[in-house]
Amino acid sequence: MSFQQKNVTVSLVTFLLILGFYLVRVFQIIQDGNFNSTNVFRLWGFVIAFAIVGTIVVTIFTHIFSAITQAIKTGEEDPDIEDIEDERDRLIDLRGTKVTYFVSSIGGFLSMLTFVLGQPPLVMFTLLIFFGVLAQIVGDISRLYLYRRGF
Amino acid sequence: MSKSRISNNIRKLRFFHDEMTQQQLAEKVGVTRQTIIAMEQEKYSPSLELAFRIAHIFGVPLEEVFSYDFEDETNQYSNKEQIK
Repeated sequence: MSFQQKNVTVSLVTFLLILGFYLVRVFQIIQDGNFNSTNVFRLWGFVIAFAIVGTIVVTIFTHIFSAITQAIKTGEEDPDIEDIEDERDRLIDLRGTKVTYFVSSIGGFLSMLTFVLGQPPLVMFTLLIFFGVLAQIVGDISRLYLYRRGF
Repeated sequence: MSKSRISNNIRKLRFFHDEMTQQQLAEKVGVTRQTIIAMEQEKYSPSLELAFRIAHIFGVPLEEVFSYDFEDETNQYSNKEQIK
């Protein structure tokens, strides 16, 4: 598995955890009868902050972990990690981004549709972040699929 | 997935260049080993720049490394003409 592939896998796991946490919290809020703007927007903020900080931290850890495993494998003190991004990686990333945008556009549309159909705006905002995270997950899955297939 | 119309002799050329490994070639042209594997399996067609770099490493013209299957394309166009 290449460094880029590891990065995508780690990103996928991170966003799956974020989605899991988000869904659990949303259901808890609904069950407790606290589905109000304060709680929903606090959750929004938490998810966005965790997505940004978590991705950065996890990428750094992947790099460190790759260096350690490479050092153990080769026995070198200063191992070379193949962390270059070549043209194939860039094309796979672009295709993944295209899938992400497609899913988030559909998600955005569906979220707004709930508002048009008479649901409160909080439902729309809750769905917006859900589809945003889901789009990232689908994009990562498509990237991994392209890596496994070759291109 | 359908294979690309662009085929290549990278594996053969590596063999005739002191059995150069995929990793060595990847390092020389500045890509990952996975990209070389994908090219050899004809799942990925490289950019023109990378194709020239590979040909340069082997010291041969581009046509000796890569070839394009025009036959399929010609058949496809002639079938379309017949339909018209």
